[in-house]
Amino acid sequence: MGPAATEQNPNLIEVKDLVVRFGDRTILDGITLNVRRGENFVILGGSGSGKTTLLRNLVGLLRPHAGTIIFAGRDFTEMSDDERIRARQRMGMCFQGSALFGSMTVGENVALPLLEHTKLEKSTIDIMVKIKLELVGLSGFEKYLPSELSGGMKKRAGLARAMAMDPQIIFYDEPSAGLDPIVAAGLDMLICKLKQTFGLTSVIVTHELASVEVVADRVCLLHRGKIAAMGTLDEVKRSPHPYVQQFFERRPSEEAGSGEAYIQSLTGPVER
Amino acid sequence: MSALFGYIGRGAIGGVRIFLAVSLLITATMHWVFVAPFQRKGLRVRAAIEQFVIIGFDALPIVMLICLLLGAILAMQSAYQLDRFGVGYLVPDLVAVAAMRELSPLMTAILVTGRSGSSFTAEIGTMKVSEEIDALEVMGLNPIKYLVVPKFIGTMLALPMITLVATFTMILGGFLLSTLYVGQDMSVYIQRSADAFGWQDFLNGMTKSVFFAATICWVGVYRGFQTEGGAGEVGRMTTSSVVTSIFMIIIVDVVFTYLFFSV
Repeated sequence: MGPAATEQNPNLIEVKDLVVRFGDRTILDGITLNVRRGENFVILGGSGSGKTTLLRNLVGLLRPHAGTIIFAGRDFTEMSDDERIRARQRMGMCFQGSALFGSMTVGENVALPLLEHTKLEKSTIDIMVKIKLELVGLSGFEKYLPSELSGGMKKRAGLARAMAMDPQIIFYDEPSAGLDPIVAAGLDMLICKLKQTFGLTSVIVTHELASVEVVADRVCLLHRGKIAAMGTLDEVKRSPHPYVQQFFERRPSEEAGSGEAYIQSLTGPVER
Repeated sequence: MSALFGYIGRGAIGGVRIFLAVSLLITATMHWVFVAPFQRKGLRVRAAIEQFVIIGFDALPIVMLICLLLGAILAMQSAYQLDRFGVGYLVPDLVAVAAMRELSPLMTAILVTGRSGSSFTAEIGTMKVSEEIDALEVMGLNPIKYLVVPKFIGTMLALPMITLVATFTMILGGFLLSTLYVGQDMSVYIQRSADAFGWQDFLNGMTKSVFFAATICWVGVYRGFQTEGGAGEVGRMTTSSVVTSIFMIIIVDVVFTYLFFSV
């Protein structure tokens, strides 16, 4: 367990009865889960299961319709703007497309949170940027622009930026999306390394089963806005829920049963 | 019939939504410009200066060239018409007053919309699409403070200043054409221009340009934040930003021209 575990509450994030709606579509329906300090928590789910929406709620980019999200003992939805800014300095996020600022070099990207939130000297910041880039295996790339990097390097640079303020927790949105298996495996190793060396908590949204095997301490599988199963990977795999079985066996959805149903799906319901 | 009501209703709701969103944007910008710096939350002075240079200084060559030519065109057009009434000597008055009150603020605003308003939308729209705006928020950096305020300050300072330069270039254009081509006496032309100069006209033009600046900035930024989806949407929003902005500038111009003449 990392240094963060010295605080009393074993849970860093507590989500209770979270409901998220876009218009009249319910995306998340009664999500309750806890993320413990120092663990790698994986949110699994198919496309459209609401996993990215859940992540965006956890970092406060979206406001839930109902329910509470408690981060380090404080309700995120009830924080003042200043408190939220302070809370956000304790979290980092790796975006799916890395979201590096295209007009800045990699070094400036990593330095940005430090420049804006701390009163450190320029020379100190330079050293910290070097350390963070070294950590993700990108030393010497300070002067490059994001457009000059490969997909995997961009992701790692994004991780270095997320690490800049020494956060307690890092959120990953589809870390291995669009990467080849070797680079993706490297990123998984990096996530594990951060947990071991710094006791970092990670919340990882993914649908890559291979990477779940490596990184996950606990898993939660979302299906149609609800939690289908939650626990360690083995526990989840043993769940009797039919969707869970289908997901892990990678079985495609059944085709529409009868010919009549297929025709109806094309023409709309037939009035009798 | 119900379709008609539905159309009107949806239009009205959409209009109210845009109004609310723009009001929020304006309030937030004002907060970060006038309130937050005094709460020691900082102001990105360097970025504002950079924007000022990009919006103002870099636009000078094209603005000056166009206004020089416009001044010449104005002098040429008015010389022919005024001569028919035997008052060709009034050309300097017409050029000076038209440049100060109307043409140079309007022309400058339209040029700056094309140069900078569009780039505000494209920049913020691209950042929105590539999750960079979200990244700013997650880092605890306010996108209004970080992106909008420097652009706002830059535009508000730059536009009146280039309008000033544009006014004099336009008068110079008229002067060059009238003296070199039409053959008016230089000292008479200068004298008449100086007599035509009125603080009232000058301030009218400057006031307009301040409001044009706010329009360009907020329309550009608002359209940028509205962008959702992909690269195609960035292009569409940029087009829409320029069209909306020019339209709004003309509306503002009409309102102020009416106000200035009725007061």
